[in-house]
Amino acid sequence: MTDHVSFPDAVQWAVPFFIAAILAEFLWIAIKGRGGRYETRDAVTSLIMGAGNIASGFLLGFIAYAFFMWLWQITPLNLGTSIPVIILCFVLDDLRYYWVHRFGHRIRWVWASHVNHHSSQHYNLTTALRQTWTYTFTFMMVVRAPLILLGFHPAMVLFVGGLNLIYQFWIHTEAIGKMPRWFEAIMNTPSHHRAHHGRNPRYLDCNYAGVFIIWDRIFGTFVPEQEDDKVDYGLVHNIGTFNPLRVAFHEWVGIWKDASQPGLTVRQRLAYCFAPPGYSHDGSRDNSEQIKAKHLARHPEDRGTPGFDQLGAKPSAATTTKQA
Amino acid sequence: MPLEILLVLVVGGIAGVTLLLHLTGRSRLRLLTSETASDQWLRHFPDDTVIDVTVAHDGHAALVRTETGAGLLWSFGADTVARHLLDFDRIDHPEGFEVQFHDFSTPRVIIHLDDTERRHWQHLMEPA
Repeated sequence: MTDHVSFPDAVQWAVPFFIAAILAEFLWIAIKGRGGRYETRDAVTSLIMGAGNIASGFLLGFIAYAFFMWLWQITPLNLGTSIPVIILCFVLDDLRYYWVHRFGHRIRWVWASHVNHHSSQHYNLTTALRQTWTYTFTFMMVVRAPLILLGFHPAMVLFVGGLNLIYQFWIHTEAIGKMPRWFEAIMNTPSHHRAHHGRNPRYLDCNYAGVFIIWDRIFGTFVPEQEDDKVDYGLVHNIGTFNPLRVAFHEWVGIWKDASQPGLTVRQRLAYCFAPPGYSHDGSRDNSEQIKAKHLARHPEDRGTPGFDQLGAKPSAATTTKQA
Repeated sequence: MPLEILLVLVVGGIAGVTLLLHLTGRSRLRLLTSETASDQWLRHFPDDTVIDVTVAHDGHAALVRTETGAGLLWSFGADTVARHLLDFDRIDHPEGFEVQFHDFSTPRVIIHLDDTERRHWQHLMEPA
């Protein structure tokens, strides 16, 4: 099946809007004295990560696109490019985003790419641009395969994916509190996404949505931002570098060091690559479930509250060792 | 979008934001006190029990003694980063110490200490 379908690269065209919105947010914070924080090196690192993400798209994007075009050749289906089809594609691609994002937090191989987006201790519009350089190596493009096999043209799938990312830009801000209740119920918002960026035990592994928060509500991963548990942004173990190369590759280096250490079984080496972040063969680290369980041991009053309501686990003996 | 225009926008945007933030005072390092250093340590390591905190005179680093050993907390832009002193090298530096962590995500930090502090910190950083 061959045809000539063309869609604009929405993310590239949004670059002027990104810059203008960052300036507007900065001015808002400076004038009002609230609504977020900016720090020079943190922001510059985020912006360079964003530029590198665009550059990696130029350099490596052909791999995913070639894969998608191969799928397009073999599928007998073609849904066309009408407006209702584009809208349907946008919604289904957002479901695809939810699962890729969830994998990004639960599979260390994918986390190695996504971690840099969470590596800032700040939360402002520049944080939205702190994007991966190594997404291609996660092979998560396969999650888009069903869309193309169903008859959505690859160019359309990439176009709606770009719109999805542009939507997510504006929710990386502390300048907006809560949106109207109906909007908070359906859409991903600054409040929902602030919780997603939290390193507080309550907020670990929640709110994976891109555009529609309904996916988190459906799949049981929704945690509302709590007024009495202010979001602490960043990683469980925050990194100590502004060097974009180290930000981009530090978790890949960590995987290599962990999986290649002597004396491990094949199963342990694979677990260092693909188990949830925090896995260790000797129990010297904590994953998110163990961090939540330890928090509940210190704060039993939080049991049953959002973010802890599905937790039955208690800290095991192996997890009481201090994490290196 | 033509590549030349995209390049100008990206480079100009990064340069402009950098200049704006620096000139409006957003490059200042966080200042630590004993109390904030202790609070920050527990933010990074909530399972720890802090015994005492020694803050460097410049307010940008603190040596934290906990029940499980010593740790280093330092200003990282407007925020902080902390590490237990488990796998590291302490190297003399003209302005104090350079601590290397053997960690790709946190390679090193330079602690600014005067001569008196340097001796005290050297003693505190030695393995128990």
